[in-house]
Amino acid sequence: MAAVHREAIQKQIQQDWANREYIEVITGSIKKITDFLNSFDMSCRSRIAVLNEKLTILERRIEYLEACVTKGETLT
Amino acid sequence: MATDKVTLGDALSNVDVLDEFTLPDEQPCIEAQPCSVVYQANFDTNFEDRNGFVTGIAKYIEEATVHASLNELLEEGLKHAVMLYTWRCCSRAIPQPKSNEQPNRVEIYEKTVEVLAPEVNKLLNFMYFQRKAIERFSGEVKRLCHHEKRKDFVSEAYLLTLGKFINMFAVLDELKNMKSSVKNDYSTYRRAAQFLKVMSDSQTLQESQNLSMFLATQNKIRDTVKENLEKIPGYEELLADVVNICVHMFETKMYLTPNEKHMLVKVMGFGLFLMDSELCNINKLDQKKKLKLDRIDRIFKNLEVVPLFGDMQIAPFNYIKRSKHFDASKWPLSSSSNNISPQADLMVHLPQIREDHVKYISELARYSNEVTTTYKECGSDAENRETAELALRGLQLLSQWTSVVTELYSWKLLHPTDHHMNKECPQEAEEYERATRYNYTDEEKFALIEVIAMIKGLQVLMARMETVFIDAIRRNIYAELQDFVQLALREPLRKAIKNKKDLIRSIIVSVRETCADWHFGVEPLGDPALKGKKDPDNGFGIKVPRRNVGPSSTQLYMVRTMLESLIADKSGGKRTLRKDIDGQYLVQIDQFHKTSFYWSYLLNFSESLQDCCDLSQLWYREFYLEMTMGRKIQKCQVRHQHNEECSDLITMEKRIQFPIEMSMPWILTDHILRSKEPSMMEYVLYPLDLYNDSALYALTIFRKQFLYDEVEAEVNLCFDQFVYKLSEQIFAHYKQLAASILLDKRFRVECVALGAYLLPYPRANRYETLLKQRHVQLLGRSIDLNKLITQRINADMQKSLDLAISKFESGDITGVVELEGLLQVNRLTHKLLSKWLALDEYDAMFREANHNVLAPYGRITLHVFWELNYDFLPNYCYNAATNRFVKCRGLQFVQAVHRDKPPQMSHHYLWGSKQLNLAYSTQYGQYSGFVGPQHFRTMCKLLGYQGIAVVMEELLKIVKSLIQGSLHQFTKTLMEAMPKVCKLPRYDYGSPGVLGYYHAQLNDIVQYPDAKTELFHNFREFGNTILFCLLMEQALSQEEVCDLLHAAPFQNILPRPYCKEGEKPETKQKRLEAKYAALQIVPNVDNLGTAKQAMIAREGDLLTRERLCCGLSIFEVVLSRLRSFLDDPIWVGPPPVNGVMNVDECTEFHRLWSALQFVYCIPVGETEFTVEELFGEGLHWAGCAMIVLLGQQRRFEALDFCYHILRVQRVDGKDENVKGIHLKRMVDRIRRFQVLNSQIFAVLNKYLKSGDSDATSVEHVRCFPPPIHPSLAHAQQQHYHTPEYLRQMNHQ
Repeated sequence: MAAVHREAIQKQIQQDWANREYIEVITGSIKKITDFLNSFDMSCRSRIAVLNEKLTILERRIEYLEACVTKGETLT
Repeated sequence: MATDKVTLGDALSNVDVLDEFTLPDEQPCIEAQPCSVVYQANFDTNFEDRNGFVTGIAKYIEEATVHASLNELLEEGLKHAVMLYTWRCCSRAIPQPKSNEQPNRVEIYEKTVEVLAPEVNKLLNFMYFQRKAIERFSGEVKRLCHHEKRKDFVSEAYLLTLGKFINMFAVLDELKNMKSSVKNDYSTYRRAAQFLKVMSDSQTLQESQNLSMFLATQNKIRDTVKENLEKIPGYEELLADVVNICVHMFETKMYLTPNEKHMLVKVMGFGLFLMDSELCNINKLDQKKKLKLDRIDRIFKNLEVVPLFGDMQIAPFNYIKRSKHFDASKWPLSSSSNNISPQADLMVHLPQIREDHVKYISELARYSNEVTTTYKECGSDAENRETAELALRGLQLLSQWTSVVTELYSWKLLHPTDHHMNKECPQEAEEYERATRYNYTDEEKFALIEVIAMIKGLQVLMARMETVFIDAIRRNIYAELQDFVQLALREPLRKAIKNKKDLIRSIIVSVRETCADWHFGVEPLGDPALKGKKDPDNGFGIKVPRRNVGPSSTQLYMVRTMLESLIADKSGGKRTLRKDIDGQYLVQIDQFHKTSFYWSYLLNFSESLQDCCDLSQLWYREFYLEMTMGRKIQKCQVRHQHNEECSDLITMEKRIQFPIEMSMPWILTDHILRSKEPSMMEYVLYPLDLYNDSALYALTIFRKQFLYDEVEAEVNLCFDQFVYKLSEQIFAHYKQLAASILLDKRFRVECVALGAYLLPYPRANRYETLLKQRHVQLLGRSIDLNKLITQRINADMQKSLDLAISKFESGDITGVVELEGLLQVNRLTHKLLSKWLALDEYDAMFREANHNVLAPYGRITLHVFWELNYDFLPNYCYNAATNRFVKCRGLQFVQAVHRDKPPQMSHHYLWGSKQLNLAYSTQYGQYSGFVGPQHFRTMCKLLGYQGIAVVMEELLKIVKSLIQGSLHQFTKTLMEAMPKVCKLPRYDYGSPGVLGYYHAQLNDIVQYPDAKTELFHNFREFGNTILFCLLMEQALSQEEVCDLLHAAPFQNILPRPYCKEGEKPETKQKRLEAKYAALQIVPNVDNLGTAKQAMIAREGDLLTRERLCCGLSIFEVVLSRLRSFLDDPIWVGPPPVNGVMNVDECTEFHRLWSALQFVYCIPVGETEFTVEELFGEGLHWAGCAMIVLLGQQRRFEALDFCYHILRVQRVDGKDENVKGIHLKRMVDRIRRFQVLNSQIFAVLNKYLKSGDSDATSVEHVRCFPPPIHPSLAHAQQQHYHTPEYLRQMNHQ
C-alpha cells in the first residue's frame, strides 16, 4: 500500500516537473516575443526618426521655396 | 480566426521565426537598457505549495508555514516604512485658526479632520502593525529559545528571516524618530478632533492617546523589542546565532543584491545592541567564542555607513557605541577615527573595477558571438554550467559595483563637506548641497560616472542575453539537482540503510522524494542501494533525464533545509548527524548546499539583474527635505562687523524640492557637459538614466504619484538644460574646428614661434555618437536627440550668419573681407555638421539671414551701397601707385557716419573661441585701413551680378544728379569768371612770365573760395564712382576667368598638350578629348537626358562661353551712360567761330579744367593739405573722364595752361617766385599730374575705343581739305565739323 502511495507521489512529482517545464517553455516564448517587440520598437523608432527627418527637410525646403516664389504674398 | 487551432509546436516555431527578422537599429547603444515592454515572470509562491511536498519532513513543512507568514509581515513592514519615508508634512499647508473668535474655525477644523483622517488611519495601522510584529517576533524567539528546542538545529533560512525582522525594526524605528512632520500632522489632527469632539468614546480616546505617545517617544520600537526580548531566557544565544550567520554570509559573500549586503551589516549592529543588556554582556560572549567581535569590527570599519532607507544612512557602529557594555578596546578599528573607511574612497576601487569590467565584457562578448553564430538546441551539461556561472559572475560584479556606488554615496551623505574642506563650497551652502554638490571632487565625479556607465552598460549586455542565460541556467540547475539527488545521494543512502541510521535515511529519502524527477516516473526498481547493497560489478545504470526547468521555490527550500540538517554542526547537546556520514559525502553535500544558495537568484534572473543595478536611491532625498522643511538659512550678507543682531536669517521658502544643482543625476550629467571631457562624452546618457531608476522605484515600490511627478518635473528641466548645453557646445566645437582648419597655417606657426598663446585644433570629441541617437528612452518617452539638436543648431547657425552680417553692418566698407571670412567659416561649420545633422541648406540659410528671400537685394548689398554712398565716395582718396583707397585724413566734407553698435555675441557665434576671435580679428585688422583689390574681390563674390548691377545703377543715379546739379552749377558760375580769351603766351616771356600771365588771367578762379573745397569734393565723388566701377569690373573679370577655367573641362576646352617632335598635336588632342568625354556636359545630357534637359544644358553652355567670347564690359557701358549725362551745352560751349576748333577761347569744359588744374598745381604751404591728400586721384579721374567723354582730350593736351608753363620752363629752366608761387615746385607738380592724366586718358580710351575700333581709326585720321577760297566758302560751310560733332553723329 505504502509503496503504491509512494509511487503515486513520485509520479505526481514527475508530473509537476513536466508541468513546470511546460510553463517555462511558454514563459520563455513570451519573453522572446517581448524581446522581439522591444527590438522591433527600437528599429521602428529609428527608421521613423529617419523618415521624419527627411520629411522635415522637405517641409522646410518647400517653405523656403514658397517664400522665394511668392515674393511677399502667400500662395493661398 | 477563433476556430483555427494552433498546436504548441506551431506556436513555438512561430516564436522562433521571430529571431529571423532583421531589425536594424543604426544607433550606437550608449544608454541604459531601453525597453518599452518589460516582462518578468515570478514563480515565487511564498510556500503556498508547501503541502504538495508531503514526502518532506513535517518539521520543515511547518517551518515553511511560519516563513510564509513572516514574509508577509516583512512585506507589510516595508509598506509602513515607505509610508513613513514618503510622508510629507500636511499641517504646514493647513490653515490654523488664529483665535478662538475666528468665525470659520469650526469649518477649518472640520476640513482638517476630513483631510487628515485617512493619513492618521495609516499611522494607527502602523502602530498596530509594530505591536503585532514585535509580538510575533518575540513569540518566535521564545519558541526557539525553549531549552528543549535550543538543542535542535535552526535553519539558515530561519535565522536569516529573523535577521530581516531585526533589520525591519531598526528601519521603522529610525524612520519614526526622524519624521517630525508625522508628529506635527498628528497633533494638528488631534487638536482639531478634540475641538470637534470626534473622538467621543473612551476607547478611541485611549487609542489616540496611545498613538500620540507612540509617535512622541523616540526609539519606541527599539526599546519595546529590547524589553520584550529581555524577558526571554537565553534569547541572546539565538541572537548570537543570527549575528553569526550574518557575519558568515557577509564574509563568504552569500548575498546577491547590495540591499542584502547592507541588511547583513545592519543586523550585526542592531542585533548586538539588542543582545547587550543588564543580563548579557556581549564582551563576555566574545570571550566565550560565541561571538567574534574582531571580525565584526573589521566589517564595521570597512563599511562605516550603510543606507538605512532612501537617503537615510546609518553607521552600524553607533549601535555598539550606544550599548551598555561598550568597550572601545574591543573595537580597535571602528573606534579609531584615524583611517578613513575604504568606502569613502572610490578611487581605490576603480582600477579593480575597470579590470573586472574589461575581463568580464570580453568573456561575455566571446560567448555572445559564439551563441549568435552557432545554432544549438541546447548545450552540453558542461557548457550550461559554464554559462550559468558566467551569468552569476555577471550579477555579482554588477551588485558589487552598485554597492561601491551606493556606499560611497551613503558615506558622503553622512560626511558633508564645508567651506574649510572645500574652497568652492560657499559658507552659506545648504545642508544637502554640502552633502552632494560640493562633496565630490572632479575625479570622484568622473569615477562615479564611469562606474555607473559600466553598471548600466553591462546590464544592457546581460539583458540582451537573458533568454540564452536563463535557458542555460535552468538546464544547469536541473541537471545538477537531479544528478545530485539521483546519483550522488545514493551512496550515503546505501550506507545509512546498511548502518541502520534511520534518521539520516529518512532525511535522504525525503530529499529524493521531494524533488527527484525519475526517468520512468518512479524510482528505478531493484536499486540495490535501497537495500543497503553494493552495486553489481557492471554498475547499476540510472538514466537521469534532462529538462529545461528549475525547482520551484518551495522545493528548493525544502531540499536545502533538509540537507542542511544533515550537515549542521550544531544542534544543542545532541550528537550531530555529521558524524554518521562519511567525510567525502559531507563535502559533496556541503558543496551542493553552497552552490544551490544562488539558484533562487539565478532562476529569477531578470529580477535579480534589475535589483543588482538599482541606483534609484541616488535621487531620493526625503530625509533632507524633512530636515530643512523648505527652510533656507541665509547668513548675514552685509559687509560689516557681524554682531548678535545679524543672526542667521531663516526664511521659509515655498519650495518642496531642492534645485537640480544639488541633485546627483544632474550633478554628474552637468559635470560631463561642463568639463567637455571627450572620453566621458559617450557616457552622458547614463547619469540621466538614474532618473529612470528613481521613477521606476516611485511607481513600483514607493507607489507615490507625487514622487513620480517630482522626478518627471526634474527630468523635464534637466533634459532641456542638457539639450541646450549640449547643442551649444557641439556648435561651438564644430565652429572652432572649422575656424582652426581655415586659419592660416603660417600664421599659426608664427604664433607658436612667438609664444603667443593660440589653442591647437580642438580635441576630437565624441559628439558623433550622441548625434546618432534617435531614440533615447527617458521616463518611458522616446526622444529623438538628433532631431532636438538639429533644431537648436539650425537656429544657432542662422543666428551665427545673422550676426556675421550684423557685424558687417556695424562697420565700414572695409569689413567686407572679414564678412567673407566669417561666411566661409560658417559654411565649413555647416558642412562639417551636415554629416550628422539634417540642417537646412546653407544657401537658404544665408539668404534668410541676408533678408534676401523675399526682397531682391540683401542686407549685404544694401549696406555696401549705403557705405559707398555715405562713406566711401565722399571720404576716400584713391592712389594708383598702391591701387588702394584710403580714408582722407584732412577735411571732412560730409558729416561723420553713424552706424548701429555691433551686437553683443558670445564667442561661438563669431569664430568659435576667444583665442580664435583674437587671431582672426588681428588678421582682418590688416584690411581695415584701406579699400583695395581684396575688398573689391570679396564685394564681387558677395554681391553677385545682381548686386553689382543694382549698386552701379544707383551710383550712376547719384553721379547724374551730381553732374546735372552741383557740378553744372559750379561750371556755370566759374565759366563766367573765366577770361573770355586766354592765349598761349610766347616762349619769349620766359616761364615766370607765362606763369604770371596765367595767374593774372585766372585770378578769379584761383581766388574762388569753393573751388578747392566743395567743387573738388564733388569731382572726387564722381571720380571715385568711376574708379569703383572700374575696379569692380576688374575683380569680376578675375572671378569669371576662374569660373571659366573651372568650367573648361566640362565644355571640352582642354589645354593644348605638349608635343614631342614627330607627334601630331591633333591626334594627341583627340585622345585627350576622348579621355575626358565623360566630363562633357552637353553631349552627355544630349545622350542621356530628356530633350528639355538637353536644351537647358546647351543654353547654359552657351551662356558660359559667351561671357568669354564677346568680352562684355560693364565699364564701357558705365562710360557711355556717363556720357549721356553730359548733354548740356555748357560743357561744350558754342561752336568755334573758325569752324575748326577753339584755340584761345575759354568756352569748353577742358578750359575750365585747365584753370582748375592750374589751381591745384599751385604748391601749398607746409601746413596746408595738398589736393592729393584731400581728394586723391578721384579728382583727376573725374576731370579726365569728362574731358574724354566730351571729346576734348586732344585740345586739352595741346592747350592746357599748366602744360604750357611746363613746356616753357623745360626750355628756359628758370626758377623764380612769382606772386608767391614757387615756379620750380609748381612745374614739378604739373609734370606729375601730366603723367597721371595721360595714364587716366589711356585707360579710358582703351575702354572707349575697344568696341568701335573701325570708327576710331576713321576718326583719328581726319583729313581736312585744303583751304577754300572765301568765295566758295558759303557753299561748303556745312562740311566743316568739329570732331565731337562728328562723333556724336557717328554714335547716332
